[in-house]
Amino acid sequence: MAEFSPGLEGVVAAETAVSEVDGANGRLIYRGGYLIEDLVGVASFEEIAYLLWHGELPDQGQLDGLRLQMSAGRKLNHAARGALMAMDPATDPMDVLRTVVSAQGATKSLTKPSLEEAIALTAIIPTIVGASYRRRQGKEIVEPRDDLGHAANLLWMMEGKESAAEKTRYVDTYLVLLADHGLNASTFAARVVASTGSDLTSCVVGAIAALKGPAHGGATLAARNMLDKVGSAEKAEQWLTEAHARHERFSGFGHRVYRTYDPRARILREMAKSAAPDLHRTATKTEEVALRILHEAHPERPNATNVDFWASVVLTGAGISKEMFTCIFATSRVAGWTAHVLEAMADLRIIRPASRWIGPQPGRKPMQLTKR
Amino acid sequence: MTSNSSYVPGLEGIVAAQTAMSMVDGENGRLVYRGYVIADLAEDMSFEEVAHLLWQGRLPTRAELDALTLELAGSRALTRAAEATLNALPTDTDPMDVLRSVVSVQGVEHRLEKPTIPLAVHATASFPTILAGFHRRQQGLGPIAQRADLGHAANYLYMLNGKESSPEIVRALNTYLVLLADHGMNASTFTARVIASTDSDLASCLVGAIGALKGPAHGGAPSAVIEQLDQIGAAPDAEAWMRDARKRKVKFMGFGHRIYRVYDPRARILKAMCERMNPGFYALASRVEEIALRILHEEHPERPQSTNVEFYSAGVLQAIGLPKEYFSPTFATSRVAGWTAHVLEQVANNRIIRPQSEYIGPEPRKPVPLAERG
Repeated sequence: MAEFSPGLEGVVAAETAVSEVDGANGRLIYRGGYLIEDLVGVASFEEIAYLLWHGELPDQGQLDGLRLQMSAGRKLNHAARGALMAMDPATDPMDVLRTVVSAQGATKSLTKPSLEEAIALTAIIPTIVGASYRRRQGKEIVEPRDDLGHAANLLWMMEGKESAAEKTRYVDTYLVLLADHGLNASTFAARVVASTGSDLTSCVVGAIAALKGPAHGGATLAARNMLDKVGSAEKAEQWLTEAHARHERFSGFGHRVYRTYDPRARILREMAKSAAPDLHRTATKTEEVALRILHEAHPERPNATNVDFWASVVLTGAGISKEMFTCIFATSRVAGWTAHVLEAMADLRIIRPASRWIGPQPGRKPMQLTKR
Repeated sequence: MTSNSSYVPGLEGIVAAQTAMSMVDGENGRLVYRGYVIADLAEDMSFEEVAHLLWQGRLPTRAELDALTLELAGSRALTRAAEATLNALPTDTDPMDVLRSVVSVQGVEHRLEKPTIPLAVHATASFPTILAGFHRRQQGLGPIAQRADLGHAANYLYMLNGKESSPEIVRALNTYLVLLADHGMNASTFTARVIASTDSDLASCLVGAIGALKGPAHGGAPSAVIEQLDQIGAAPDAEAWMRDARKRKVKFMGFGHRIYRVYDPRARILKAMCERMNPGFYALASRVEEIALRILHEEHPERPQSTNVEFYSAGVLQAIGLPKEYFSPTFATSRVAGWTAHVLEQVANNRIIRPQSEYIGPEPRKPVPLAERG
């Protein structure tokens, strides 16, 4: 039997044309062969979703069609609304998202994953995120607007007013950058669920569940929390040195795949200058010091800044409250999750790996209860 | 582009975890829980004892079993939010979707706590309450309060039917729950471990696992067995129907398994139970089994085509009186013991499960601006 590779590191679990993380060269390639830096500023989130689903960027007519379909899919059904309102407003927003997506997608009989469902799931998430945020604030839920784009409508439902064009651009860029990233843990979870012939809602719910983990989607919040603790550029050196001495992990640094600077982090770092100038100053100094300390501690490791670090600054600049970060990540990644599931449908085979037995020698006899 | 290993479809034969929970010895047709062969546990152990075995690594003493029974009984009630969610779902919803949604909301109590045995007990206790509550609602009836003096299997049936079931029926359900409680690195268990590997919470792991179990290639098949037997109709018509079905590329439900090369030991036990408890089903099913194995062997003599656990599960669950939409969620009611045990094992020695993919798309190129497309 094959060797055990913890975390399946280096094991190829799928063939995909949805995206490629070229860690050695610091490149992220989206479906169709586009480098991520070439797409930013050229394509909106809706165009990226279309690209991931169809394999090509839409023309104006196709984009208009998708926008129409998405804006028509922004309403919660009765069951989803019931689940949403049943939960305490203080509930973790990722738990709200997991539950309400599950209820929204509850059906009478099993359905095969389809593009229509992918669009519906992508369209509904901002509604849930917005409602969950409003309820946390003790405010009225804001109904979706069908005349706004995906990013603008998300901000509308969260804030109850139209956002400045700049903020919408920050959010849209973030959504473009995070929409897919190879076979990460949540995407892999979605593909494992899909491999049993289950429905698309189950795949997305499983993916949300995986994204919730602090080692995955929760990392953006952790990065922002660390910046809050650092406090200011002036205090960075001292705080990080002390934290390192306490063996605290620096949030926002290190990635299993990239051996050079993450191209998404590079774009967000640039954007952070105008999005959140003060936090950008703190973050720049924090990055400089953290990379130096990490390099001194482990010169052999490629310890680069990851996307979460700079994403936390840009999302802050867009006015997104930090407890909503992971949900915003899901708002983007659902495009990739659904694209991967649709891709996997073409050649479905159950993902059922092996395990290595490390328990007691089989065959011992159980003792009767009274004799134990 | 970044990997030197080659792609193995379905990760077949790839070791994804080390485990001391259960071992599927496909060559010899053995299923082993924590060192005990399933046949030695099936008849005499309660589901509670097996859950204790999986969680703690050993069978409980009398005092430990009493404590666990008490803890399970004390954790059966749904939270207010879970109850409201259950009541918001349309009454014709697939009970697997109900389970997925209500387990999700029931679990929000735990926030981002690290998975623990008490949380595993709490989650395991809630499954029968959710299913029975929804089943009652489908019939326009109110929920039945749990009975703390009844064991896991007996109480599930009590809450479903509003009356106590016969000892034989309770025993049959208990044996079913014991048999299905764990099974190596199956797709739903693996899903739970992938989710756990990100440091997510237990409810998240379970919700993902339920989603995977729902798939027809995994836990969604026992109801399909009944449906196919209904189509076949009667034993004398079986061969003609089945030969014709193969011409139409219809799959025989309840046959084939990636791992077992000989008869699944659970199927053997369930088959004997069917013969005793559900003679009508058994008469047709055993005939269909014989023909299916013969036809499959004719088609692929090289393949070890054996009856899988779902085939006779269907007859046992039917004899117990469960509606067929409740077969898969009852599977989940058993497997939750294994899922939670695997999650605890994963977090005790964790590393994020993040395999690689092989890029098969086009080489890098430049995007065309929107105005110039089309």
